[in-house]
Amino acid sequence: MSRNFQKHAGYRQTMLGRVGFNFYDVFVYAFCVLFAVLCVYPMWYVLISSITPYEEYVKGGLMLLPFGGIDLQYYKAIFSTKAFTNSMWISVAKTVLSTSLSMLITSTMAYACSKSHVKGMKLINALVVFVLFFTGGLIPQYMLYKDLGILRTFWVMVLPGSLNIVYFVIMRNYFSYSVPKELEEAALIDGCTEVGVFFRVIIPISRSMLAAVALFIAVINWNDYYSYMMFISNKTNLQPFVWILRRMLVDQSMMNQVRNGAVSIGLTLPPPMALRMATIICAMLPIMIVYPFLQPYFTSGITLGAIKE
Amino acid sequence: MDRNGSPARANGKRRASAKDMPLSASFFTRMYRYLKKYWFLYMLVLPGLCFLLVFEYAPMYGITLAFKDYSPRLGVLGSPWVGLGHFREMIADPNFVRAFKNTLIINVYNLVFGFTFSVFLALMINEIRLKKVKSVVQTAVYLPYFLSWVIFAGLVQVFLEYPSSADLGGVVNQVIIKFGGAPIDFLKRPDLFRGILVISNIIKTSGYSTIVYLAALAGISPTLYESAAIDGANRKDMLLHITIPRIMPSIAIMLILQLAGLFVSNFDQVYNLYNNYVLSSGDVLSTYIYRISLGGSGTNFELSTATNFLLNAMGLVVVLVANKFVSKLDVQGIL
Repeated sequence: MSRNFQKHAGYRQTMLGRVGFNFYDVFVYAFCVLFAVLCVYPMWYVLISSITPYEEYVKGGLMLLPFGGIDLQYYKAIFSTKAFTNSMWISVAKTVLSTSLSMLITSTMAYACSKSHVKGMKLINALVVFVLFFTGGLIPQYMLYKDLGILRTFWVMVLPGSLNIVYFVIMRNYFSYSVPKELEEAALIDGCTEVGVFFRVIIPISRSMLAAVALFIAVINWNDYYSYMMFISNKTNLQPFVWILRRMLVDQSMMNQVRNGAVSIGLTLPPPMALRMATIICAMLPIMIVYPFLQPYFTSGITLGAIKE
Repeated sequence: MDRNGSPARANGKRRASAKDMPLSASFFTRMYRYLKKYWFLYMLVLPGLCFLLVFEYAPMYGITLAFKDYSPRLGVLGSPWVGLGHFREMIADPNFVRAFKNTLIINVYNLVFGFTFSVFLALMINEIRLKKVKSVVQTAVYLPYFLSWVIFAGLVQVFLEYPSSADLGGVVNQVIIKFGGAPIDFLKRPDLFRGILVISNIIKTSGYSTIVYLAALAGISPTLYESAAIDGANRKDMLLHITIPRIMPSIAIMLILQLAGLFVSNFDQVYNLYNNYVLSSGDVLSTYIYRISLGGSGTNFELSTATNFLLNAMGLVVVLVANKFVSKLDVQGIL
């Protein structure tokens, strides 16, 4: 297919020579580039504003480049508040723990369920997919967590979501359709056991898929505030970072506390919006770091597990 | 089941050969041999199955709350039954009716504008002929999808905020003021709220949803275009008669999936963008369910559960019907 694609591209190059510059192309490029800018500019604006010195910031403007130098005072202000550093650690711990647990149980289950000829697997499969569409809902979950004794503890952010249904379906389809059956059969004929097949054949050849799914799940976990909000809500020492951002956006008393804190460590009284922008950047940072690693997987079909080529 | 009964035999014959498991062997012997052969797979499935049963299926007993009067003293199981009372209460609640209407309207907007936009964007990205530009555009438009709605709501606020004594206001209002207009308090205007939801949703997700279409487009054989060019087709003809027909199946699936979610509201998005000023046009079912139970001052657990149950049941019916249609197309459904 890739050879076809290159031929296709080559053909298009000759088309470019033949047709040359026309309004159709102008429209296509203008449209795509404008939309791309619309997607990225807000983040760029926030980044530049958050590092612009106060004197320059209050003039406003579009913040295309950091004119007037770089000043990290807003970051100093937010990280001098104990809640911020604490929640960073909570978020990191939660993300690492729930991603590992999630990968462990979701991928093993997906592999086993891809063997649909084994008795019971079809039923288990149906059970998993059913909850994609029908769940107990908010209050029944709340009641259950209360009964289990994990309500208002750290574990309510880790355990309940660890079987990721969407990635279960994607990984199951990957194991069913993208791992060559011949490889497994050859290993079995050569005297490898089922255990050996899993550890020596399946895991090594699915390594890049597993890595990609792990990153996707990590992003989901980093972004999760729902479990805190619904099932913990009053323990400030367990707040994930995204929740801190949420409070910076809507909670006036939190904002005042941070602003006063900034004054007490000798900074000028920062504008609320600038502090919000610095918080947004901190919440975005981990995602920006993993994004380049996710990028190659978008087109490779992992995200399209449910759709046949 | 009969120890040597036919059901076990019928199941057994599919995989295991007669040599492995003689039919004369008892049911337990054959089960033992089967487990001995596949014990590893069953072991792999076990942890996941436990999590599934505990965290997804166990809460379902709580659905009975929808038909009960909950008292914390008696617990979920001990509380008295009240039949369909909560459903009647729900229909009579003007806030529920409002949330239901808003959910439908917002989803139809998303379908009409958001869905069409993502198909159009995919077609446009596909028409880009310079590979470098194409990959830069793709990198840019996929990015917002990975940000949390909290972050995205922050970005919306940064752009639309009303100026205050402490601050300049958002970029949009700065621009309006520069051109001599009066600043607009975008986030507190009920008439603008749905528009903000639809546009922010387009920016955040439409890039990512082009992936499905672009994957389908990459599979088109170039010979089709070549022969069309020889027959004198221009690029518009090719778009209409080659490209679009080829992605029709993908469009159909995505459309059906979107329709299946007609009663599903995006809690993340609405919760992070709305406030008390825009409830009239912005309150949707999921935020309603939250507000009357855990959020704010509400503690109406039964009504919340009843609403959730009704939505789930309706959604399930729509999904089953939709899956019927999807499986007719040349794709593998999700079920």
